[in-house]
This record gives sequence, C-alpha cells and structure tokens, in this order.
Amino acid sequence: MQVIKKLMKMLCCMGIMIAATACANKEVVKKDEPLGTTHTAASMPAIPFAEKTIKPPQQENKIDKPAAAPVESARQAPQAVKVAAATSDLEKIFFDLDSSNLSNDARQVLVKDAETMMQLNNLKVTIEGHCDERGSAEYNLALGERRARAAMQYLITLGVPAAKLSVVSYGKEKPAVVGNTESAWTKNRRDEFVVQR
Amino acid sequence: MKFMRITLKLIVGAVLLIAPNAVSAQDSFIEVTAPGNRQLKLAVDVPRSVDTVTPAIAKELGDVITFDINMSGTVAAASREPATGTVSPPLAQTEFVAWKNAGYDLLVRSEYSLKGNELTVEFRLFDLPNQKMMTARRFLGKKQDLRRFAHSFSDEIMLALTGEKGCFTTRITFVSTHNRNKEIAIMDWDGHNALPLTNNGSINLNPDFSRDGREIIFTSYKKGNPDLYRRSLFSTAEIPVSNRKGLNVTGTWSPDGTRIALALSKDGDSEIYTIARDGSNPVRLTVNPAIEIYPAWSPDGTRLAFVSDRLGKPQVFIMNADGSNTHRLTGSGSYNVNPRWSPKGDRIAYVRQQGGSFQIYTINVDGSNDTQLTTDGSNENPSWSPDGRFIAFSSKRSGVQGVYVMRADGTGQTRVGQGKGSASQPAWSPRY
Repeated sequence: MQVIKKLMKMLCCMGIMIAATACANKEVVKKDEPLGTTHTAASMPAIPFAEKTIKPPQQENKIDKPAAAPVESARQAPQAVKVAAATSDLEKIFFDLDSSNLSNDARQVLVKDAETMMQLNNLKVTIEGHCDERGSAEYNLALGERRARAAMQYLITLGVPAAKLSVVSYGKEKPAVVGNTESAWTKNRRDEFVVQR
Repeated sequence: MKFMRITLKLIVGAVLLIAPNAVSAQDSFIEVTAPGNRQLKLAVDVPRSVDTVTPAIAKELGDVITFDINMSGTVAAASREPATGTVSPPLAQTEFVAWKNAGYDLLVRSEYSLKGNELTVEFRLFDLPNQKMMTARRFLGKKQDLRRFAHSFSDEIMLALTGEKGCFTTRITFVSTHNRNKEIAIMDWDGHNALPLTNNGSINLNPDFSRDGREIIFTSYKKGNPDLYRRSLFSTAEIPVSNRKGLNVTGTWSPDGTRIALALSKDGDSEIYTIARDGSNPVRLTVNPAIEIYPAWSPDGTRLAFVSDRLGKPQVFIMNADGSNTHRLTGSGSYNVNPRWSPKGDRIAYVRQQGGSFQIYTINVDGSNDTQLTTDGSNENPSWSPDGRFIAFSSKRSGVQGVYVMRADGTGQTRVGQGKGSASQPAWSPRY
C-alpha cells in the first residue's frame, strides 16, 4: 500500500509539473518554488482580511517580538500572501445532477488543489458540499456531504494529510448562484474548499 | 414569556366555564357525515357587546370561528347578521325559529365585554331544530387573547359535532427568511400571531415540537456544523443536543418524548439513529452505505419511516424501531421523500418528485391506496395536525414559498401566514 501511495504521489507531482510547464499561466505555482511575494502581490486583495488571524510561524514570532511594529507587519505579509493566494487558488469542483461522482475535470482540479493544500503548512481546509435547488432539502444535506467526502477521499489519495481536511454539507442552503436555470444549477452542484483562518 | 402569560390566562379562562347545564356532550352529537345528506349549515351570529360596542372585536371573534369551522369541512359556516334583522337579543333569548327559517341547522352566538384591556367572552352553540344549547364556554383574559378564545370555542364546537376536540389552538413552527437568514419562527395554526424564535443569523432548519409542545428541536449551522439544538418556547437559550462530527439533522421527537430520532453521519455516511433527550446514548438503526435521512415515528413508537437511496434514488422505507424488518413503502415514483406518519397511524404523508416539482401524497401504511393530494406548484414537507384532520405543507405555488394547510383528503388548500420572506418546513404542534 505504502509503495502504491508513494508512486501515486510521484505520478501526481509529475502531472503537476507537466501541467505547470505546459500551460504558461503565471498563476500556476511550481512545486519546488516557495510561494513568492512578488508574483502574487498583484492578485492580493485579501491581505487585510487574512492578516488579522494568521499566526506567523514560531521562529518568526521570536524575531518579531522585539521589532518595531512596521517591521512586524512586513514580516507577516508573506504568510498572509500565501494564504490569500492559496484560498483564491483552491478551485471549486462541479458535479452532475444527483451525483457525487468525480468527473475527469473535477479530478484534474483536485490534483491542482491538493498541491496547493500541501503547501499550506499548518492551515486546515474545510470542504463544503453543495447541491442545486431541485432535490429535497433534507436529502440534499446528505448528498452534499457525499460530494464533500468524495473530494476528501481523492485529496487523501493524492497525499493531502487527512488531518488537514474536514467536510461540511450545506445541501441546497447556500447556492453560489440564485436562479432556476440549467446554468445556475450547474454552478451550484459543487464542492468549495475553504482555508480555515 | 409572552406564551407563558397567554397560556396562564387561558387556564384562568377555562376554569370559569359555564356549568354544563346542557345535556352531556355524549348525547348531543349530531350526524354530520351521513351519506346522502346535505352538509349542515352553521350560522355565526355577530358577537354581541354587553357594554361598549367594539366592531373590530366582534368581527374578529366571528371570523376566527367561521374560518376554523369551514376549514374543518364538517359543516358549512357563515358569519351572519342577526336573522331577525334587528340587534341581537341576549344569549338567553335566542330566536331559534328565525335562524332555522333562514336555513341554518346550527348557530354560534357570543357576548363580549371589554373593560380597558380586560376581555370577557361567552360563546354558545345551539342545535336549531331541537332548540337546545349543545355547548357553552366563558373566557376571561386580555384583549390580545381574543383569537385564542375563539379558537378554543371552535375546538369545543368540533367536540360537540364530532366527538373529537378540534386542534384550533395549536401552532405551527417553520423556517422563515423574514430577516434574510433561515430562522425558526412560530405562528398560530391559521397563520396569525407569527413570532420569530431563533435570531442567530445562521442557517436553521427542520424544527420539530416536543410532545408537550413547550420545546422545539432544530438543526443550526450557528457553530459551522449542522448540529441539533433544543430550545424552550419561553426562553431564548439554544441548547446543543447533538454536535457530532458531520450531519446532525432531521431530528424528530418520539411519541413518548423520551428519544429523538435523527440522521447522523458521524460514522461516515448519513444513517438513522435515536438519541436520548439530552443527546446521549446514540443507538444506530440503519447500517447501509447509502444515504438514510428524515426519520418519522409511527404514533405508537414501534416503527419508523425514513428516506434511503439504497436502491439508487431516494425512497421511503419502514422499519421497526429497533432497526429490524425494513421494507419499502411504495413501489411508485422514482423519488419519494419527507414521510410523516398520521396521528391515527393508518396513513403516511410523503412527497414525490414528478415532472420537475414536488407533490404531496398520502398512502396506507401497507402501501395501498396511494393518493396524490396536491397538483398546484411545488409542495413539500407535510406535517399532520395532532387530530389528523389537516396537513400543513410548504408550497411555491404563488412564487415565494409559503406555509399552507389542507384537509387530510387534499381539499381546502389555504395559505396560512403572509409574513415577510419565505416560509417553509412547517411542523405542527401537539395539542396544548
């Protein structure tokens, strides 16, 4: 089992690297590269939000304590950037009607998400399962959880530590888009990945 | 606190009953359902003031009784000016012949007195052909108790006419979006006196009354996870009952009030459990990799209906209360949910998805006599009145989702409550 897991991890990593090099999108983060401050700074409206609650790593704390306030906030910034970037990078996945099966598209997204999550050091991720408005509200609570768990299982096989992940189902109670069109339903049958701050 | 006060008042009022000088209720039943007979007609005379005339009070007293009795479907009620065309005489001088000649079989008369905020109302029900009083009640309380007094006499009218007390003094709890969140609210069965219960700004779902009607349980996301809470109607404290990992949803009290059946997913997927009132001592009833959710007790507490998708799509199943002897309720329909067992135990109301909408059905417990009750709009979450005469449900037929009430045969579908926002997931209280 261990061997298979490791092999899978390696394959996934390779997949990521290939994907990363294949597509020239600068938002894709390479594995070996620590999340930098430069290229994410532009796409970073969430800093003030994240800043409040993110604890800097221990050693940084020690250094920061005697330092003056401006220095401190400057030191915190990279970590905040990392979380903000990660949160916006964690892509949603979508499901077919009344199904919790992971499509090929969803699996590809999860591979990318797993990679981001594994760089989130001590931060945890809640997987939110959601449904469209057509099923019964109560059945959808269970269906949403099934969707969240499907993603969680896959992320674990991709190497994300189980302890990092939790699930919550909102059924059809928190639609991403309000409306009774096919397009709204498609957008609402989803898992969202929320970094716990 | 307000409820407590009202309840106390009601008790005070009820103590001041008129001595039953009429024949005993048992002797005074009249046949209201004989086949071939026309429906009996009941007149509700304009309530009479013994001091200062207050037209608004008179109208409301009459309207409540007329609405209740018409909704019951037992007799046809109408609010009427005095049959003699003059001012109503005192109750003791009721003109039986004039009312009978106007085409009525039954007559409700009442007198009220309002002094400051103190309201006294006396009601009488007369059998016109036999020129006798069937029942009478006198209530003493505050002006705001007016509707409750009238509902209470409607209950007595039902007792006199059918041998079973009405349930017009009951309430319905429901999910309301009045403040844009999903909060639990409560209203009288006819939609009046709506009040918010929760105000936690989160998502609150599936309220259910305790057997004494003094508490509700519901699921709330207020701490992030869908956990089960309990709260009294008389205080604002929301007490956690089950906050196990995963779902703690669709909780419903057992008929004897000692257990709560609910769906928990703490062991990986949604399964039916029972727990004690305080949330301890969980007993797992289903073991299946499929989804199991929405338990519903039989009135004797020996069986549970629930929803499972073990055959692919969600379907209603029945099992013994120990989890044994599971079988499917109905072979019809590809998506059946929301079972609720009738108080008499013979029928189960449930919801079927068909053609892009939901419709309410009832079916015998053995699976026979499957009957569709709604066709208009999309209709969900049936809940029986404690006498089994009515079913409350939510409907989107008028656009915004609202709570409706119908007779158990599907007739008389009427919206109750017209508050701000949507109203859904109604649950009917027991009798108080």
